[in-house]
Amino acid sequence: MLRQPLTRALALGSPTRLAPVTTRRYAEQAQAQPEKVEVFIDDQPVHVLPGTTVLQAAALAGVEIPRFCYHERLAVAGNCRMCLVEVEKSPKPVAACAMPVMKGMRVKTNSDLTKKAREGVMEFLLVNHPLDCPICDQGGECDLQDQSMAFGSDRSRFTDIHFSGKRAVEDKDVGPLIKTIMTRCIHCTRCIRFASEVAGVDDFGTTGRGTDMQVGTYVEKMLLSELSGNIIDLCPVGALTSKPYSFAARPWETRRIDSVDVLDPLGSNIVVATRTNEVLRILPRTNEEINEEWLSDKSRFACDGLKRQRLVTPMLKDSRGNLTPVEWEDAVVAAASALRDCPPDKILAVGGEMADAESLVALKDLVNRLGGENVCTEQYFPMEGAGTDLRSSYLLNTKIANVEDADFVLLIGTNVRFEAPLLNARIRKAFIHKETDVAFIGPKVDLTYEYMHVGDSASLVKDLASGTSGHEVMKRLQSAKRPVVILGADQLKTKEGAALLSYTQELASKLQENLQEKDWKVLNVLQRTTGQVAALDIGYKPGVGPVLASGPKLVYLLGADAGVVTREALPKDVTVIYQGHHGDQGASIADIVLPGAAYTEKRATYVNAEGRAQQTLPAVTPPGKAREDWKIIRALSEVCGEGLPYDNLDEVRSRLAEISPALVAYGNVQGNNYFAQALALAKSVQRPVSGKLDVQLKQLEDFFMTDPISRASPTMAKCVQAVLKQKQSPY
Amino acid sequence: MLQAVGRIASLSKPNLSRSLPSLAICNSRYASSDPSCLKEAPIIDTDAAIALPEEQRSRRALESSIVVPIKVDLSPVSGVPEEHIKTRRVRIYQPPKNAMQSGTNNIHHWEMEFDTRQRWENPLMGWTSTGDPLSNMKIEFKSPDEAIEHCEKNGWCWYLDEPKIEKEFKPKNYGVNFSWNRRTRVSTK
Repeated sequence: MLRQPLTRALALGSPTRLAPVTTRRYAEQAQAQPEKVEVFIDDQPVHVLPGTTVLQAAALAGVEIPRFCYHERLAVAGNCRMCLVEVEKSPKPVAACAMPVMKGMRVKTNSDLTKKAREGVMEFLLVNHPLDCPICDQGGECDLQDQSMAFGSDRSRFTDIHFSGKRAVEDKDVGPLIKTIMTRCIHCTRCIRFASEVAGVDDFGTTGRGTDMQVGTYVEKMLLSELSGNIIDLCPVGALTSKPYSFAARPWETRRIDSVDVLDPLGSNIVVATRTNEVLRILPRTNEEINEEWLSDKSRFACDGLKRQRLVTPMLKDSRGNLTPVEWEDAVVAAASALRDCPPDKILAVGGEMADAESLVALKDLVNRLGGENVCTEQYFPMEGAGTDLRSSYLLNTKIANVEDADFVLLIGTNVRFEAPLLNARIRKAFIHKETDVAFIGPKVDLTYEYMHVGDSASLVKDLASGTSGHEVMKRLQSAKRPVVILGADQLKTKEGAALLSYTQELASKLQENLQEKDWKVLNVLQRTTGQVAALDIGYKPGVGPVLASGPKLVYLLGADAGVVTREALPKDVTVIYQGHHGDQGASIADIVLPGAAYTEKRATYVNAEGRAQQTLPAVTPPGKAREDWKIIRALSEVCGEGLPYDNLDEVRSRLAEISPALVAYGNVQGNNYFAQALALAKSVQRPVSGKLDVQLKQLEDFFMTDPISRASPTMAKCVQAVLKQKQSPY
Repeated sequence: MLQAVGRIASLSKPNLSRSLPSLAICNSRYASSDPSCLKEAPIIDTDAAIALPEEQRSRRALESSIVVPIKVDLSPVSGVPEEHIKTRRVRIYQPPKNAMQSGTNNIHHWEMEFDTRQRWENPLMGWTSTGDPLSNMKIEFKSPDEAIEHCEKNGWCWYLDEPKIEKEFKPKNYGVNFSWNRRTRVSTK
């Protein structure tokens, strides 16, 4: 058992030992496990389930068999032959990745025959692989390099006396993210399998046979997927490399910092590669409960937006109305006097889409200490009924990982593919491997898998909730053992939002009642931004509408760039303070600008759509005079004369823990309850609904630029252009 | 009498030259009289020499039992500046697998690293500079317990970052690629 003192666990670490682990996999537990078979890997006995492949059995024994085409998250292809191993009493070596184990099988992963087979395969692969490692971006993290060193022959038989050259293949153009050097391709077909299985885009394939075989799209076509960047990771050689990162750095020069992504509400785990205080690239980090090992293109490639449009110095509006750079002291004094002079009920503080929990709590405490109550988020959420009092009504209660065990998914007004690409990948995984069916209420969109389109009218949800719907979906939902209902938070913005949420809660609770597994959660609300859940947990009021209408005298925008607060909506004499990291919509209307740090530059807490708190780690320092966000607010509070009672991060976090222990339970997610109570409170707001459900992100080009970082990113702009250009193409 | 004088002289010799020979050697003035180069009688502690027999016996008895402190705190003697003990926090983690590679050879251990402080590009060579002496200190451990013990011993604040990498075992199957009634059937090759 690991020791972890209580205080320290609260302040710093993950109180894993304090809270019981509530995540539970809903795998086929009920089914009796078939009897295990015994196999011998290098004379070491292993007991595995029947049907397990030799390669998996070896992995269980701790022996890693070399492979190129095999990937544990993709289908078995069995075409690279690198995993050939000797099996006793078998006349030929067998491909370990595709061969199921048999009782008493004796596998030799290190015998002479195995070694010879590997050497032979390596030799064949290298005959047609160019020797351009010095100019190859994969150099240093290349599976072919590694495996030729480890398993290849120590001498070459390759003599090209006629200088006929190696096989060469024309490069393909698959968009602005992926650079292809197809001569390097070793035909492992991982990219093809990823595109067709995970991304759901059947554009990649092979043409030709033998030495003429080529991997590509046949006609020149962009890979129209929001997950396309993952094929760069999957490619075991340098055939597919990152275009924005090309020739930028070698892997051994970069420093890798584990962090968390904030560009979509899922909080995917990432590794930030930096060199000389510059973020060079972002790679996914395996987290089975969130992103497996994939990453969406926005999270991966928008990092060049962190270098552009940054606010690097505090600014004040001068007499001519232009923002001019000033020192921190002047800006803080100006902001503090504005805060002090403003009547407390006329202060409006707005938490933005990428605000971290520390700065959100500091801002709320500051406004509260000044006597104000108007701390709001940009995204609206209906406060009628239970509102945000019960956590279960605004979270993804099923949990991302459990979605793949669902047997029926009902999506209400959410284009999951672009709002949370990796959740969509999970649903697609369930669709393919577990025969899960999906129904969708909303406009017709491409989710990369087939779904039942129920319609786009909000009244359909009411009919489903009341049980009067005659649609097939009703029957499917009722017969489902593990149904999942996901409601898009965007639908709650309208006047009918409260009623829609109430109907969805009613539907979910009716389904929940009939379930055999009582702890399976049906109701899910998918938030659109990272900051929202933390803000609601801390006690922000969702939506700025009523406060804006009452005419605030001072608006404090904490990274609020969604364009909800505009100059037109504000009175003339209002002072706008903007604190954030990008010169976007918020900064353009500000009188005082306080430069903050982006998510790669601070240690900060973010809560994802499931309610899982995770922390980012600082990879680089904030540019110029920018500072960590909660420190700015802390300094401001001191000048206001309302000093906040925390001086370091641990103290802020213990304040967070006071509000909700879930906010500092890093990495873990708590189970939610009180669905029935939330429904009972929400029943009173049920009104007839008549509107149409519409989603904001319909097409791929809408996906790329949705927040200040991706709007500042040239790569994302290129993606939008490329997608639009592809739309013009006949293919 | 002479013996007594000689003993007093040896007792009054600076102990520094004995305990830190490297310091004594580097100074040429003391090199000729460097006692560490010469063979000498063992030094007897003054207290021990003048102690009464009872005292000596009791002292020996005390010496025979070794008291091991339960919680060792090295921070006062480790020589690490206080700033780098009090203000630093250590992350104990398992290094993640590189997403670009399939191999998993160098990630089966636990590491500790300190929080990142400012780094900048050095104008001389373009390399990365830092003012943080602990910036590159990564220590490998077999288990998180060892890492925690090491941090506690050195007085560092630590936190444990457990990777979520356990997943359910699913047998892979080549046959599902060709299954006629399932969605796993491959469409493109």
